[in-house]
Amino acid sequence: MSEQIQQLNAARKMALENPGFFKQIIQGILPLTAPSAPVELRRWAADFIAEALACPALRTQDKENLTLAIVDALRSLVEAPDQDPLVLKAGIMAAASAYPVIVRWIILNTYHPPAWEAMSAIKSKILSIWENAPTPVKLCCIKFVQRVILAQTASNGTEPKHSGLDVNLAMIPPNHKFLDPRLLEAEAIGLLDRMLGGLQDNSSDALIVDATLNTLSILIRTRPATSSRITNAVLNFNPLKLANSPMTPKNKVLVKSMTKTTQMLLKHLFVRDSHNPIAPRLNQQYERLQRSRLEIFDEANRKRALPEQAAAGYGDVKRQKTEGVAPQPPLRIQPLAPGPHTLAEVFSLTNNTGLQGFDVTVVPTSLTARINVRTLASLDQGQLDMAINGVRDRLIALYAAAPAAAPVPVPVLGTATAQQASVNAETVALGVEEDDDAYEPDFYAAEDTEQILNKLDNAPPEESPEQNAKPDSALALGPFRLPPPPVLNPDTAVKVSQITAMRIFGPLSGLEDPLVRKPKAGLNRLAANSHDRDSWLTLITRLATRSTIGLGDGIKSEADTTSSALGRPQMSLGNLIREMLFNYILEDWRRRIEVAVAWCCEEWYNDRLTILNKLDGPLNYERCALRLMDGFLSYITAQDKVLTRFLSEIPQLSKELLGRLKGLCSDPTTVQLAMTSLLYLVMMKPPARELALDTVYEIWVEYEDARPLAEKYLHRWRPGFAETHAAADGAPAGNGTQAMTA
Amino acid sequence: MSAVDTTTGAASSSKPDQNEQNGQNGGREDSGGFKLKFCTVCASNQNRSMEGHLRLSLANYPVISFGTGSLVRLPGPSITQPNVYKFNETSYDSIYRELEAKDPRLYRANGLLNMLGRNRQVKWGPERWQDWQIGMPRTKHKDDKGADGMEGGVADVVITCEERCWDAVIEDLLNRGSPLNRPVHVINIDIKDNHEEASVGGRAIVDLADSLNKIAAEEREKVGASAFDSGSVGARSGFDERVPDVLAEWQERWPNLPATWTLAWF
Repeated sequence: MSEQIQQLNAARKMALENPGFFKQIIQGILPLTAPSAPVELRRWAADFIAEALACPALRTQDKENLTLAIVDALRSLVEAPDQDPLVLKAGIMAAASAYPVIVRWIILNTYHPPAWEAMSAIKSKILSIWENAPTPVKLCCIKFVQRVILAQTASNGTEPKHSGLDVNLAMIPPNHKFLDPRLLEAEAIGLLDRMLGGLQDNSSDALIVDATLNTLSILIRTRPATSSRITNAVLNFNPLKLANSPMTPKNKVLVKSMTKTTQMLLKHLFVRDSHNPIAPRLNQQYERLQRSRLEIFDEANRKRALPEQAAAGYGDVKRQKTEGVAPQPPLRIQPLAPGPHTLAEVFSLTNNTGLQGFDVTVVPTSLTARINVRTLASLDQGQLDMAINGVRDRLIALYAAAPAAAPVPVPVLGTATAQQASVNAETVALGVEEDDDAYEPDFYAAEDTEQILNKLDNAPPEESPEQNAKPDSALALGPFRLPPPPVLNPDTAVKVSQITAMRIFGPLSGLEDPLVRKPKAGLNRLAANSHDRDSWLTLITRLATRSTIGLGDGIKSEADTTSSALGRPQMSLGNLIREMLFNYILEDWRRRIEVAVAWCCEEWYNDRLTILNKLDGPLNYERCALRLMDGFLSYITAQDKVLTRFLSEIPQLSKELLGRLKGLCSDPTTVQLAMTSLLYLVMMKPPARELALDTVYEIWVEYEDARPLAEKYLHRWRPGFAETHAAADGAPAGNGTQAMTA
Repeated sequence: MSAVDTTTGAASSSKPDQNEQNGQNGGREDSGGFKLKFCTVCASNQNRSMEGHLRLSLANYPVISFGTGSLVRLPGPSITQPNVYKFNETSYDSIYRELEAKDPRLYRANGLLNMLGRNRQVKWGPERWQDWQIGMPRTKHKDDKGADGMEGGVADVVITCEERCWDAVIEDLLNRGSPLNRPVHVINIDIKDNHEEASVGGRAIVDLADSLNKIAAEEREKVGASAFDSGSVGARSGFDERVPDVLAEWQERWPNLPATWTLAWF
């Protein structure tokens, strides 16, 4: 039999080399499809038929002839009872390729129904075995059904025009003899639902799910009637259902497979048609699956990571570090050999000559600093003590040996060793001796310049070189004095204090308003009870008003202080802050009116204190209030009722202050505002009533525009006004009449 | 035909090293019998897919190989200067000669010449997956290694060597619309793109191929629907449905080469 197969294989090769032979060979092997033929030959024949019908090398015409020639044989092959699954599988694959060919043929050749009848019989046979077939056969049933749906729904014309993918419902003329497009479409939709049912029912049978998903793309893309049905089914399909059961290796393979396959289809669809309204949902589902998949499989990876690492021979890195430290031999510091030594030698604790020769100055300072901090932080206290004691012993030994070693006094800057020794003394005094030897030279260098300069600066001139050179003074822990600070000149001081004052305002921008507005505690509140903007402003106003009181402000005359607000260098810190506070308020005065009021209150309070305590300081309240008032007035509009509020809330009013309101009356739009503010004072602030009424009166006298309103108020609030008015009014009214009559 | 030699399949249960030895000894003896048809895929059809191609062909499997990239990209003197070639138009031999002329020391040191030297013994030149006309008879590739049995121009199993390539293959198959109605198992094995990993991956691929071929051969051993009720539980079901089991077992043996699988259509 193998000989026969070899012959068949040779024939197949011929056909593959020249597709023209396909038909000839197929005619010859059709008997092999009979149920009586040995199963190997039947398999071979079925495979060959499937291959021939799918072969892209054949032209449509050839394929049609071929299909017509085998359709009856194919029918008996499929319908044969107890057919071998592999034969059946190949038969169904062949049927899937044949179906569109036969449909196309029967559309054009209505005179020959037997081919269509045979194909219909094959179809009903396949549909009947679909449900209970072994899985490999079932897969091919799904593919066959997909081809049936493709052929029996209307195309949008975007599919490739070969291999029968383009055969579709729209090709059937409405008056066709046996084909009723409506029935065919209804059948197709029914089959589609059955096919998609596989996604719901068998959602853990990865083979069926994958096979189904991988056939859907072309249906969605080219058969609009199926799109929404399929998209919904795919979106509702949960490939991760199986992930809830125990993750056996096989389950992992299945879950990953279904998830990735679903994702691929989703991605394929939304990338190809990103303007479709459904695309965002596809994308969303894709992302969701992506996250779930990473969660499920990455977790597994993470759990595996450690044993893998250990197996790879890296060992447990963390454990290594902590365990390695424990058995450390006690530090043993060798006493120095007799003879002269460099400073580096004194501090060298290691016996390793390589390390001793290492020049630490080549290491960048920042790095050295970091290493030092780390080393000090993790250094064992016992080790450190031993090192210190060791170095101390060496120094003592040196000190004892010095008179003998250097009997002749050495000039202080004469030799390098002497200089080092003298510097050494100071360095030691600063307590930097206890460090790892390797870092010492750098440490020494880092301290070097500054220390030497300091030392030389502070060296008492009367100290003789001989004294200095003595080992006594060279090694003794002499006193250390800080150099005197440079003399501060007034300009620098002002600059610095300006910067300081500016920094006080720095945090304001970053601070939050308190979430709940607390009732005002007035002057008694603590400045910094919470870290919000309010507290900080209180702090600033108090710094401005009280900080420097009695600290020299009083020396200046009142006039001097006023002019110093213009920024003269003598400006005190308090005035500096006042200046900035003023600017801060004016930046957004409508919202910061509260700050202005608070500031005025503080100023007033401070002035009272100054007067009470008979201090000699300047009084600031009036000046500040006037400045604020002037500041506001230059920006004011008719809607700014905050002005009324400001005037009513500041602790003290003066004639001059209210006099500023008169200026508003020269502008007809702001008359109302000025008058309302005054009226408010008259009504609500009895102590200021007379003052306010005086101002109203002045306005009445000076400003024509404001006269009717002023008159009304005066009538109401100043009992004696009516009479004076009558007397005073005569003249202007008379003038007016005169003018009119003239 | 019924006398399918099972020794081919039995190799899968042995240690992977044994396959390695087989591969290095210039291929195992052809045991005859049923052979699954394989297709290996990587980005440039140079390193990983070609290692797989060679090893599968030495194990006497019909095999073809492709790359999914837009161009064949090989490392150049720096990371910004790769050597780029067109698929299907450039032969391994011409690339070999060009690189040898450019900088023999560099390209020998980084293993490129060695790899190209191997590849030119396997087939003519790198082929692009997307340009492959699936099912078109491959009668003009007789001299390629593994060409024997691939005349039909289809494969039963596609093995990709990187998730990106797997994605590209599936995307391409979805685009084509599966005109051939032929199921194909597409399996990704994540193999890093260097010579050592490709070698390890090549062994893993042969191991997987052996395991898969074993169950495919078992399926064919059963005769008729009556055979469906006999045999072991595993043998009772068909090849397709046993692929996940085989892959799961294989994954246990090769935990460092994460695999993905789906059943797609040509």
